[in-house]
Amino acid sequence: MKGIITEIERFALKDGPGIRTTVFFKGCNMACKWCHNPETLSVRPQLMIYPDKCIGCGACVEACRAGARTLGKNGALQYDRTACKHCGACAANCFSGALVMSGKEMTVEEVMEEILQDRAYYRNSGGGVTLSGGEVSTQPEFALELLQALKKEGISTAIETNLHAPWSVYERMLPFLDLVMFDIKIFDEEAHRRWTGVSNRQILENAKKVAASGKPYLVRTPVIPGVNDTEEEIGSIANYVGTLGGAQYYELLLFNPLGESKYDALQMDNTFAGTRPTGEEGAARLKWVAAQTPGLSVRVG
Amino acid sequence: MVNRINIFQPDAPMSYDDRIKILKERKLEETRVKSTMKVYQDGDDYGSIPAPETYQFHCIPNHENGSWYGYDGWSKNFYKLMTEHPVYIDPVDAFTCRWMFSMIWFDEKSPDKGLNWNPNFPYDDLKPEQELYGIISGIGSDAHFGGDYRIGLSLGWGGILEKLAFYRKKHPEHAEFYDAEELVVHGVQNWISHAIEESERLARVERHPVLRENLLQMAQVNRNILNGAPKTMREACQWVCWFNMASRTYNRDGAGFQLDEVLKQYYDADMKEGRITRDEAIFYIACLLLNDPHYYQIGGTNENGDPLLSEFSYMVLEGADKLDSACNITVRVDENIDRKFLNKAVDYLFKNKNGWPRFSGDEALNRGFMRLGYPESLARQRIAVGCHWMSLPGMEYSLNDCVKINSAKVFEVAMDEMMSHKGPYSTQLLWDLYQRHMARAVEVTAEGIAFHLRYQQYNEPELMLNLISHGPIEKGLDMTCGGAMYYNLCMDGSAIATVADSFGALQQRVEEEKRIDWETLYHHLKTDFQDKGGELVRQMLSRSARYGGGNTISDQWAVKISESYSNQVRSVSQKYPGYQFIPGWFSWSNTIVLGKQVGATPNGRHAFEPINHGANPHPGFRKDGALTAMSNSICAVQPGYGNTAPVQLELDPGMGRGEEAVQKIADYIMTLFEQGATLLNINIVNGQQILEADKDPSKYPNLVVRVTGFTAYFCSLTPEFRKLVVDRILIQG
Repeated sequence: MKGIITEIERFALKDGPGIRTTVFFKGCNMACKWCHNPETLSVRPQLMIYPDKCIGCGACVEACRAGARTLGKNGALQYDRTACKHCGACAANCFSGALVMSGKEMTVEEVMEEILQDRAYYRNSGGGVTLSGGEVSTQPEFALELLQALKKEGISTAIETNLHAPWSVYERMLPFLDLVMFDIKIFDEEAHRRWTGVSNRQILENAKKVAASGKPYLVRTPVIPGVNDTEEEIGSIANYVGTLGGAQYYELLLFNPLGESKYDALQMDNTFAGTRPTGEEGAARLKWVAAQTPGLSVRVG
Repeated sequence: MVNRINIFQPDAPMSYDDRIKILKERKLEETRVKSTMKVYQDGDDYGSIPAPETYQFHCIPNHENGSWYGYDGWSKNFYKLMTEHPVYIDPVDAFTCRWMFSMIWFDEKSPDKGLNWNPNFPYDDLKPEQELYGIISGIGSDAHFGGDYRIGLSLGWGGILEKLAFYRKKHPEHAEFYDAEELVVHGVQNWISHAIEESERLARVERHPVLRENLLQMAQVNRNILNGAPKTMREACQWVCWFNMASRTYNRDGAGFQLDEVLKQYYDADMKEGRITRDEAIFYIACLLLNDPHYYQIGGTNENGDPLLSEFSYMVLEGADKLDSACNITVRVDENIDRKFLNKAVDYLFKNKNGWPRFSGDEALNRGFMRLGYPESLARQRIAVGCHWMSLPGMEYSLNDCVKINSAKVFEVAMDEMMSHKGPYSTQLLWDLYQRHMARAVEVTAEGIAFHLRYQQYNEPELMLNLISHGPIEKGLDMTCGGAMYYNLCMDGSAIATVADSFGALQQRVEEEKRIDWETLYHHLKTDFQDKGGELVRQMLSRSARYGGGNTISDQWAVKISESYSNQVRSVSQKYPGYQFIPGWFSWSNTIVLGKQVGATPNGRHAFEPINHGANPHPGFRKDGALTAMSNSICAVQPGYGNTAPVQLELDPGMGRGEEAVQKIADYIMTLFEQGATLLNINIVNGQQILEADKDPSKYPNLVVRVTGFTAYFCSLTPEFRKLVVDRILIQG
């Protein structure tokens, strides 16, 4: 069984309890316009281009069999993304870091080999492994096999998910999970559809089922300026989380602007270019609003 | 010297906290002045203050070259300097005086000191091979072992003189030794006497009642310890200050002691007698650390395995926190450490962002030291009192951190030899040659150390540290030549990552992927990648699997390199009965100097660029810079005999925000030491801030960084050293 993985990040401190390794799956079933990991939207491996790092050696032109990389009249390198087969031959011959393939086929054994190197750190810190993305449910069989392998090794597991998949996908994973971290991004269904490309009905229904399953869970909302950073939106989501009952906490994740260079590298339009995260005062206000929900512990991340 | 008298109105608030605040401001002021003076650059903060502009020391030469050497030369010059030493007194401080210059690197204040090594004892026969292998030989190096302060504290200066007189009678043949030691003690006493007189004089002038009273107390404390042994915590701390200042002045010795064990008994006695308050004791600790940021250990166990952690250990951290300055406190971590204490220590690390405390790993250090044949009770006493090193207080002579073999240079020699022959070439052949040359480098280094041990007493005897060691006075012999109980001699390798990455790149790119042949690659090395296609080759090499990446080819090479090196160092000990050579991996801040010895290397490093720092991987070792991956790699190359291969971390301040984050870092530390690490240094620095500080250091006068094992004010570093620190922080942090 092979999966497509964009990154395996070790010593991850913000993706669940303790010291963790986070495995980023490639592919997503939503298309949030603010996504700070745009390379994970498509399930296919993709070429990312960082022109500043190019040393003009021409090795990529020689390696490209699709003719997507050519030398222009002035000697400058040209790239035709429509002709690109995303085979990775150019990136494999580019050592300056100007061409990087995002997404690598890996077996469960290969991922485990990396994960197990930090086993002692998980054990001593109450940490473990978090499957993230992209969206973990876009590669359900691989995710399931990986979770099973982790449990076999006695490693604590968690997923970060958008819950936008049939419940049966999550239902199969639950026995092998110690924690579910899911997002409720926007409460208003129309706005949700507009900004993420999908309705939130299935998500809200799945949220109820996660809560009812008895598995530890927590809920997060990315706070996106101009999208959901209003008292009304956050209050509504917090209220809904309150009705679920039993969430470890509700976390407001401030907008992450670090995805900008990735949009450039993928030559994708970035709706939120130049957007800055909500300021301290605004974040405190939203936290206060959310905390009005009885029994709900709220954090800002 | 700056006048500190009658600065405050008689009614100015002068609580302990007020006084620490004033002392901190004054320290910043002193640091600003020192950062403009070459002699203070690129080194530890030391706690010294600039000497008066009018003062100049004129030496008493005892050699035709105008310099001084041996017992006679050092004792007479030291006595003269102590006797005429300027007396600096700050009535706000708990303790008298500060040190101003070290006799081993006198600057324009005393231009007379000539060659550092006594030319009567040449070693020209050793020099060619020392140069060939990039060896820092340690010949003529001083201090770098720890004294046992309990000896001095229990005897006092007068008791030490009596001890000298007693053993002089037993060893009349060593009269020169005893003459020198007595002169040294008299010199220190002269400085103390002058301080007493000055304190009394200033007390007559000072208008603030608290400060006037403090000056009178200073005089009394010093009268009490001029000859007698200290009885109170304040007297003990003042005695320690005198020893530290005198020993720094003598030869820059900076080793401290188990702070929470040694001073606790004085605090307990004071408390029992109702002579002290907790706040007062914390103030004394802060002032002791202000006087000099010596290397002190807290926590751990005593020789019987009983925990040394106490309420006083917390007070040491509190004192350091109040001072919030450069500090070299190491917390000893064992599996039974009180987690509350560890979390508190981590909390201070993130709160103050001054690189303290450091952490040392009890288990791996003890287990390693016992492999030398020593009992566990002795291993437990070997405490962290140096840049990257441990020491048995007053028992061992070690040349810690003074001896380095540049393995990148050894690699270059091996590579040149292989390529001077007609092929076939291979990493196996290169490895065989590397091992052969490293074995020779180790032998040459051992010969240098043995030479040093024969003649150092005629060059620069350890006249201060002898006084608080077990053996020199009793035998009439210097610590360098028979006075010590043990000769556990440090032999550090350096550039492990440079060499491991080089082997790894050759294996991956030349042998496995066959992307380039040996001759072409060697050509690019010798032209420093400047010829056509050179940069592409360099990029290809530098992006090979790296040491620190996690079970990479280069990680495997690093383990092989370290194991081989440890075996070679240990086996050379057999040729020198009575000496134990101990392997370690540490470059100190010699990364720049050692890098300048070596041309381009197959890891894509340009000619003469720095080698890697200590046992750390080269920056950029892994895309996510995972600390756990790096830490595992460093744990896997530990030299295994009680000396260290430190982990140096650069963390962003945001990483420790909140209790949960502090807990995670504490868990990381526990796991790191469980995995076999020996020493951990951590910088907490914001990348943006360090960039701004690099542009204009004067705007960040209180920014402290841990450069290697030592901390320094960033503004006191030269641009070259700043770059080293900045690169590390930006890439790892």
